[in-house]
Amino acid sequence: MKIAEGLKIIESGWIRKPKGFRVKFQRPTDAGLEVGLSPPDGAAPLTSDVTAWRYAWKLWQATRAAAETGAPGALYNITVVDDQDQPFRFYGTGEFETYSPKHSDGKAANGENET
Amino acid sequence: MGIETEIKTIERNEVKKVEQEMTQDGPNTTLVDMPRLQHLGEVMTDHGTEMAMALAILIVGLLVVRLLVKWLRKVLQRLMPTVKFVTTFCNLVYVIMVAIVASIAAVEFGAQPLNLLRLLTIISLVAIGLFIFLRPFIPSMPFKVGHTVKAGNLLGKVEAITFLNTRMRTFDGKTFFVPNRQILNEVVMNYQFSGSRRIKIDVGIRYDQDLLKAKRVLEALMTEDARVKPKPGPMVYVLNLANSAVELGGRCWVDNKDYWVARCDLMEKTKLRFDSEGIQFAFPQLDLHINDEGARPGESGVPAAVSLTGFGSREATDEKNI
Repeated sequence: MKIAEGLKIIESGWIRKPKGFRVKFQRPTDAGLEVGLSPPDGAAPLTSDVTAWRYAWKLWQATRAAAETGAPGALYNITVVDDQDQPFRFYGTGEFETYSPKHSDGKAANGENET
Repeated sequence: MGIETEIKTIERNEVKKVEQEMTQDGPNTTLVDMPRLQHLGEVMTDHGTEMAMALAILIVGLLVVRLLVKWLRKVLQRLMPTVKFVTTFCNLVYVIMVAIVASIAAVEFGAQPLNLLRLLTIISLVAIGLFIFLRPFIPSMPFKVGHTVKAGNLLGKVEAITFLNTRMRTFDGKTFFVPNRQILNEVVMNYQFSGSRRIKIDVGIRYDQDLLKAKRVLEALMTEDARVKPKPGPMVYVLNLANSAVELGGRCWVDNKDYWVARCDLMEKTKLRFDSEGIQFAFPQLDLHINDEGARPGESGVPAAVSLTGFGSREATDEKNI
């Protein structure tokens, strides 16, 4: 096997390089929790996971009070996903994190954020 | 009667002479003799309307062209903020529209459209020819609008280049107008001449840390970043076995536009990932070794002789008595 072939195998199989990041969240509607993305599908994704996590954290801070009281404008289950819509680990801890966690049955999870 | 008749004859001859002279010189003599203002008045009477119309077309046309190009530039910059040729395209449109307005004004004044077309074609061809042949001899600036450059002590983004000076905006918001001749005499560092740039992440870990793990973590961290280019791929080198640290050097390439943010992100992620992986960074340290053997009798408890290992050096074992 030539080195170039080996490098191709490494490139495709060792570490997947995401093409971009979006902040995924849920917001309450009359029909239940609706999933949203920011930037939305079709728009250019964020190229930095650091920026994406910072953006998610700010969204959480901005909607935290509403999420605790269930007021309009609340956002739940805020997290960062990659270009394949897979949750992306928080670079600070290496864990999957979710801000304002809320289960699908509508009950708020314990704690302010889940890992 | 005889004298009177002679005088009349002389006068008649004089008048005839003058008339003959006037007839021989033609109308030019009349024009020369006419006062200039009168001549101008006649010209205005004959062509005044056309002149006024041509002037009005020229003034209004130039104003409209200016507004249109301004509007076009704004629209294009909003629609295509990353395209670099907006300014050039707008300048080209401006020149073409000015030429059209000037042509319309000239036709209104009485110029033949065909002659005008020929003149414009000749001018265009001469200008293009001169540009092509003289281009190698025209000193060009080593950057373009939008590039980030360092010229002398000035670091900033090039906003505009004119014949006389270059407008640069520093990152703290100051605008500098630098004469082109001064820039051409300076060493210019153009950060965007090539499309990509290398990021350097140098860290030092303690000697008791897992070197291979640190290399793996640093390489993985660069590889998984969306902005880091796969070719040439990220590399981690052991740069130096320094006094208090094993120095690692991470190298990876990113697009120019991503350089600064990617560099800062990778620095932040390196610190946090090393922390979460339990890899400890090195820091300058000084080991103090107390040597009891050098103490005088009766002065126990007071270190009479100590040794210093300067800044964590593993090799520096020379003992110094203090």
